Parts: sequence; structure tokens; C-alpha cells
Amino acid sequence: MPATRRSLLAGAAAAPLAGLLPMPAIAQNRPLRVGIIAPRAGVAGTVGEVGLRGVEFAVEKINAAGGVAGRRVELVIEEETSPRETTERARRLALQERVDVIQGIVSSGVSLALGPVLEESRILTVYWDGTTQDGVNETMPRSRWVFRSTDNECEAVMGSLMAIKHWRGQFVTVAGINPDYSYGRNNWAAFIAFLKRFNIEHRIVAEQWPRVGGMDLTANVAALKAANPDLVFSSMLFADLPVLMRQGHAAGLLEGRKWVFPAAGFQHTSLKREFTPAGMIFGHNTLYFADPQASPLAREFVEWYHAKTNDWPHWEADRAFFAMEVWRRGVEKAVQAKGASAWPSNAEIAEAMRGIKVVSLGGPGRMRRDGIAEQTFTQGPTVHDPRYDFPILDPAKITKLDGRGLQKPEGGDFWKWIAEAQFDI
Amino acid sequence: MGAFIEVTTAGLFHAAVLFLVAAGLQLVFGVQRILNLACGSFYALGAYCGVTAGSTALGLGVPPLLALPVLLLAGGAIAVLGPPVERVLRLVQDRDESLQLLLTFALVLMLQDAVRMVWGSSPRQVDGIYLAYGQVQALGARVPVWNLLVLLAALVVALGLGAFLKRTNFGRLLRATAENRRMAASLGVDTGRVYAVVFSLGVALGGMGGALVVPSSAATPEMAVELVVEAFAVVVIGGLGSMGGALAGAVIVGLLRAVALVVWPELELMAVYAVVVAVLLLRPAGLFGKPAA
Repeated sequence: MPATRRSLLAGAAAAPLAGLLPMPAIAQNRPLRVGIIAPRAGVAGTVGEVGLRGVEFAVEKINAAGGVAGRRVELVIEEETSPRETTERARRLALQERVDVIQGIVSSGVSLALGPVLEESRILTVYWDGTTQDGVNETMPRSRWVFRSTDNECEAVMGSLMAIKHWRGQFVTVAGINPDYSYGRNNWAAFIAFLKRFNIEHRIVAEQWPRVGGMDLTANVAALKAANPDLVFSSMLFADLPVLMRQGHAAGLLEGRKWVFPAAGFQHTSLKREFTPAGMIFGHNTLYFADPQASPLAREFVEWYHAKTNDWPHWEADRAFFAMEVWRRGVEKAVQAKGASAWPSNAEIAEAMRGIKVVSLGGPGRMRRDGIAEQTFTQGPTVHDPRYDFPILDPAKITKLDGRGLQKPEGGDFWKWIAEAQFDI
Repeated sequence: MGAFIEVTTAGLFHAAVLFLVAAGLQLVFGVQRILNLACGSFYALGAYCGVTAGSTALGLGVPPLLALPVLLLAGGAIAVLGPPVERVLRLVQDRDESLQLLLTFALVLMLQDAVRMVWGSSPRQVDGIYLAYGQVQALGARVPVWNLLVLLAALVVALGLGAFLKRTNFGRLLRATAENRRMAASLGVDTGRVYAVVFSLGVALGGMGGALVVPSSAATPEMAVELVVEAFAVVVIGGLGSMGGALAGAVIVGLLRAVALVVWPELELMAVYAVVVAVLLLRPAGLFGKPAA
């Protein structure tokens, strides 16, 4: 078929986007542009801000060390809002800003909708915390351009294992208060599946599904108290979690029960000691700021973060750092493979990122061949420490687990995996 | 027994806040015939003013136990927004209701952005008040004192509003204007002033509702839209324009939600809107509303 003016123009427009062609030598002197999409408002606004700090730290270090394969890194930041608006912003980053990679996205609702668009447009992307899961099922089993974070249920899997490890035989009646969307529903279902898997005798006495961002939980607290459970599992993780804790404390709900909060780390500094008793199981996901076994890099980051914000970071900073590190290592590997002749294409960089191992702030991790991340998770029972006005993990009881043991294998079925896999608790 | 008291109190706590916002809505509609979606925004503004005032007061060393009057004043202070906003809404007072809804919804969006500009987008809380009031324990129940104070405050407002409307001269002028604006005006009533006062009172009621919830929860820019939907369910059940209807509707919605969360949490919202639908079908004017002539 002869080339028409239209097909040539279309090809010219798509080439830099797709990264299929090696870039001209002149372009190799320009900085690498990284597009970041993160929430900056609403219930996830503070989460995005913490992630952006992780990016800032990573880029400072990269540029101080001479850049990525000799090229400095520049950031172009956009806001994550609704799936439709965020998709438009991702397109703008690729087409107008001509970024080399997009990183970010916290909400799986957004990343699920955005994934196919990015894949079809051949835009190299590494998600921070977003997945492409429909429920617990992967919708993009082997994407070429889109690399996503760990499964949403990792923290629930670990929280369930922690509850069984620490409190087996100490509870019968269980209740859940989980956010009313697929994350909350799946986390609760996973917890129940683990109780069955380990033959834990239990009886569900209440299931509460507050809306994300709903700030009056007095009726939910009263309903939970009326059910009088021995153990409560809650995957609440946004600004409504401190509200639950405060209202629960005032109503006497928290006393005399066992609590599992696999995602409490998102709000850890807001869960003040005055209303958050010790002895709960808290999940800090892939970054625990006071980890006694933290690497020098992680300690440096926590100190850097505290000096800048007078606050302590949570896992979104690690997710952002991990995304940047996976991409950086992928670029350097691809550049090395290509030799000095030309800069690798984005397709070559994407291929180099598969199976790559990195050390992130929270510990070792890797990008699986199917484009799904595996990272180290940290959880444990809490204690009160006079140095902090919020509970921290009991240093003697911290558990760290490799992500490989916390999520279904490539192409696996989540429920079948829970039923059949070996779990070391 | 303890659980019954706790669930009922939780339902009534929510009802108290709903009543304050719905009462403002009813007052404005009853007198001015304006369906004011922005009542939710005044609730949100009250909450943010409560956060600022509460935090400032605690920072200045005001004892937490004096927080209630501080918050009520802070929420009520947004009444200053009443006269200018009322002047804008007067432009659509005698126009089609859809135009009123559009204009007041535009106000909701504008005020939401104003809140973001002033206080930012992240949820804001005020620590140190809710727990300072302690709890009451009786009959196996443990109820936060703050929740009871909010209930009491709403009750006092309801009684005060009733007395204001029925026993004061201005209340009579207000009711006369609500009954027949032209007649009231021809008899020398300054209806413009009546509207400004009524609207400011509606704003203050919403503001106080917002300010009273922040010690136990948090202020978010989205709270305006969340509450206005429930407030409309309240007025549909109670009857548009009726103050007694606002009280009854708020209690029904609050208790229904609380009971549904115990019995069948999945039906929390459906239970409320099933009642709304039933009222619309069986008694379209609402439980306390006057049927259209």
C-alpha cells in the first residue's frame, strides 16, 4: 500500500509516543522527562503528597549521581482525579509534554480504566499503587507497556496471617468494617477465606460497609458494638480511619477486642495515642518509618522526609520510589544492552524492566515478568512509645514478608491460591 | 438494653445534625419559596469555621469544655453570608424551580472551591474536644457526652425556633410574609428585610450543624453534597416548608439508618429512600406538609 500524507503524519505522531524508533542523537542530550500523576486533593490528597516526596527524594539522588544513564531527570506533575480526567491528563503528558515515562496513580478505580488506554497508546507507565484488577482478577494479564503495583489484597493476606499467628484460639465472633468498594469487599472476603483455610472456628456477627469519605460513623460504631465481636477486621485507610478510631474509642468499642487494620499505615500519624489503644495489628504495607532493620537508604529517606515535613512517611513514598527505581534500572539495563550506538526504545526499556530486581525503601522487591510488582510488606502488633503521639509497631514483634508469598502467582486464581498455597506463619 | 440505647442515640445524633440543616432549608423554602441546594454548603462552611475556631480556641488555652459555645458561635457566624447570597437568590425567587435549583447548585460548586482555596482539599479535624467531654454510662450503654450535647443543642434550637416563629412579633411578620407576600408588603412589612433575616437564619442553622460535627468527625469539601441529598430526603418525608416535618423527617432518617446498620447494613440507604418513595406515593405533600390546593 503506498504511503499517503495522512499515514505518514500519523506515523510521525505515533513514533515518539510509542518509542518504537530509536531517538535521534540530538534528543539524547535532553533530560529524561518523567510524567507523574498523583492525587493532590480529596481523601487521597495527602497520600499523593507523600508519594510526591518519594519521587522528589528519588530524583534528587538520581540527578546527584549523574542522572539515568547520564541523562538528568525532569518531572512533569499532573493531578489524579476521575478516570476520564486522568486519562486526558495522561494523554497530555504523552502528546504535549512528550514525557518518556508516566509514573503514579493511587486509585485502582482510575488505573483500571486508564490501563487499556495507556497500553493501546503504547505509553510506558509504572503505577505506584494502582492495579488493573477487576475485583481480584487481573484484566491485563501480560501488558506490554503498563507495569502495575502489587495486588490490592497483599495487605489483607498479611493481616489475616498476622491475626491467625497472634490470636489463633482467642476469638470466635468476628466483624468487619471495610470501605464500600471492591478493595474493602475483597479484603474482607480474603480475611474470611483465610480463616477457613486455617480451619479457624469463627462466626461473622457484623459486616459494615461505610462509604469512602463518609465522616459520621457513629451509627456504624453503635452497630459494631451491638454485635459484640471478639475480633474486628478493617481495611479502612483514608481520613475516615482516624474518625472511626476516635468515635469507637469514645463509645467504648475498642476496648476488650482484637483489631486488625492491615492498611492503618496510611493514616498512622493521625491515629493519636489518646484514642488509639496499643495491641492492635497494624499494616504498614511496603514502608514502615521506624523499622529497626531499615536500610541506610531508608533511614536517610525517613530523616529527609521528617526534616522537610515534620511528619513521618508512609508506604506511598516507597511505592513512588520503587516505580522510579524499576524504571531507572530498566533504562540502564537497556542502555547497556544496546551499547553506545543509540538510545534504547521504550519497547526495549519495557522489556528490560521485566524480572528486574531492586532495593526499595521498604526492602527488596522485583517487577515480575507479567508486569506486576512484588515488594516486602511490614506488619505487627502496636505499642505506645513516648517518642511518638501515635502507636508504632512493637519492635520485638515486627513481621516482614516477601511479596512473593502474599499474592497469587502469575496467571493464578486468587481464591484457589488461598485454598492451596503454603503459608508460613 | 445497652445496645438499644447506643444505636438509638447514634441515630438521633445524626438526626440532630440533619435537622439543623433541613430546618434551614425549610425556613427558606417556607418563606421565600426557594429550593436552596446551597444549604449543604453552609453546613460545610460551618464545619470548616468550626475547625478553625476550635483549633484557635484550644491553641489560646480555652478549656475544651468551652468548645461547644465556641463552635456554635463559629457556625452561626457564617450568617453574615446570608444577606449577600439572599440578594443573588432573590433574582430567581419567582422564577421556575429548575432555575432555582441550577443557581443554588452553582453556589454549591463555587462555595466548594472557596473552601478548597481557604482550607485546602485534605480533610481537616480538630483534636482535643470530642474526648474531653467524656462519656455517660448507664443501663449498660456508653454514650459520648458530646453526642448528647449535640442532641440537646438541636432540641434547644428546635424549641427556640418554634418560639421565635410563634411568639415574637418578627415571627408573626415572617409567617405573614410566608402566607401572602403581597398582602404583607401592602400592610407595610419590609419583606426584603424579612427575606434577608430568614435566609441568614437558614445559613446559621446549617453552619451550626456543620460546626457541631467536626469534633467527632472531620470537615471535607465533599460534605456539602453528601448532606444535601439526605436533607432533601428529610424534607420530602416531613413535608416541604414544615418545621415539624423537618424534625420528624430527620428523626426518621437518622433512626432508620442506625437500625438498618444493625439489622441489614446493605440496606442502609435503600431503607431511607424506600420511605421517601412510599411517602411520595401515599402522601406526596409529606407527613407534615400541606397538600396542594
